[in-house]
Amino acid sequence: MNNQGRQDSVQKIRKRIEIHVGLAIAALVVAMGVGAAGFVYWGAYNVSALQQHTEPVFTVLNLALDRSIRQRAEEVEVPKLTPDMAEQGRRLYESRCVQCHGAPGVGRDDVGKGLTPVPPNLAHTAKAKSAAEIFWPIKHGIKMTGMPSWQFKFNDEQIWAIVAFITRLPEMSPADYQTMSASGGQPSRDVTTVSAPAPARTAALPDPERGKLALYGYACIACHRIPGTVGPHADVGPPLKGIGERRYIAGVLLNTFDNMVKWLRHPTEVDPLTAMPDLGVTEQDAMDMAAYLSSLE
Amino acid sequence: MTAKYLFILLSPLLLATGCSKDEAEPPPGDPAKGKALIRDYGCGSCHAIPGIPGADGRTGPSLERIARRVYLAGVLPNTPSDMMRWIRAPEAIDPRTAMPNMGVSESDAHDITAYLYTLK
Repeated sequence: MNNQGRQDSVQKIRKRIEIHVGLAIAALVVAMGVGAAGFVYWGAYNVSALQQHTEPVFTVLNLALDRSIRQRAEEVEVPKLTPDMAEQGRRLYESRCVQCHGAPGVGRDDVGKGLTPVPPNLAHTAKAKSAAEIFWPIKHGIKMTGMPSWQFKFNDEQIWAIVAFITRLPEMSPADYQTMSASGGQPSRDVTTVSAPAPARTAALPDPERGKLALYGYACIACHRIPGTVGPHADVGPPLKGIGERRYIAGVLLNTFDNMVKWLRHPTEVDPLTAMPDLGVTEQDAMDMAAYLSSLE
Repeated sequence: MTAKYLFILLSPLLLATGCSKDEAEPPPGDPAKGKALIRDYGCGSCHAIPGIPGADGRTGPSLERIARRVYLAGVLPNTPSDMMRWIRAPEAIDPRTAMPNMGVSESDAHDITAYLYTLK
């Protein structure tokens, strides 16, 4: 075989390999397409609000959300936010926002507890986001979350008043908020009486797996980082890593199983100053949550 | 190959996850001194504190990312001045707290706060 012939055959082999690789890639693309279609068609993805996305999916969605809002907020011009506006904003907040987001020391209503993604604690949001980044989602809402667009309900001035109030949340203690709320002439809301407890179950042994779901169902993940859950990783209250081995609960109560149940059910009775709200947790739910929390080392 | 391209395409997104809000001005005080003081006062016997050797106490909460925490001790808004008040006289703020008054001087509280605010 001469040199020319050898080159020809090398080229032929190379071409054959390229065709094979091309076919393999095409087959893979088709298979992925069919797989994705089947995944959607046969309902493989669990849309239950208690079955959070996996951590990577959650992270990507959250990033997309943050980036989308930040991008659009760049064009928003922020007016001067005055104390008067904040006071007006507080009233609007109490009429339309506290139901899902809660307030310092005030729990959210049942609707706000069960949503996925969990409505954020806004003191936490105000610490991390600019005023424009708070304004934009109030005005426009966020699709595929529970956040409505408010622009047909409130004008820009009213929305800025709400923003003025929210930006003051990080400097407000639960006691400050209570004073403000009481002197503002609005009846203080008591969630525990508003929300009917879930149907009583006959007392069962504490079930940590059910307790973990309850941590989603009562929106605990909106304020605490809890190992084993996927969520906003918020640092409103302390992280619960190692809570099973912590000596005190909330710095005031010895960490026993019964005390944890008591704390979860009636935190403001244990410490009247606490920002942790009474969420109307039933005894069984509290026992299940305590069982899960005590397993965290 | 496609995975690699996808990664290259997406990597700027991954880099862009920082907070958009400028951090508040650092509190007065010297974080290096604060770190030494935290050791001297023995805060680590009750709290897990990143960066302090041997600080792995489990009596109180971990102080991981304490600079980002919204509430101190679950009752106070987390501002530098409230942090100092809490460190100096916790019982004056929450009479039920298990955190003892360690007789921390004002300047020591400044430095300790400065260190704690480096924990993000």
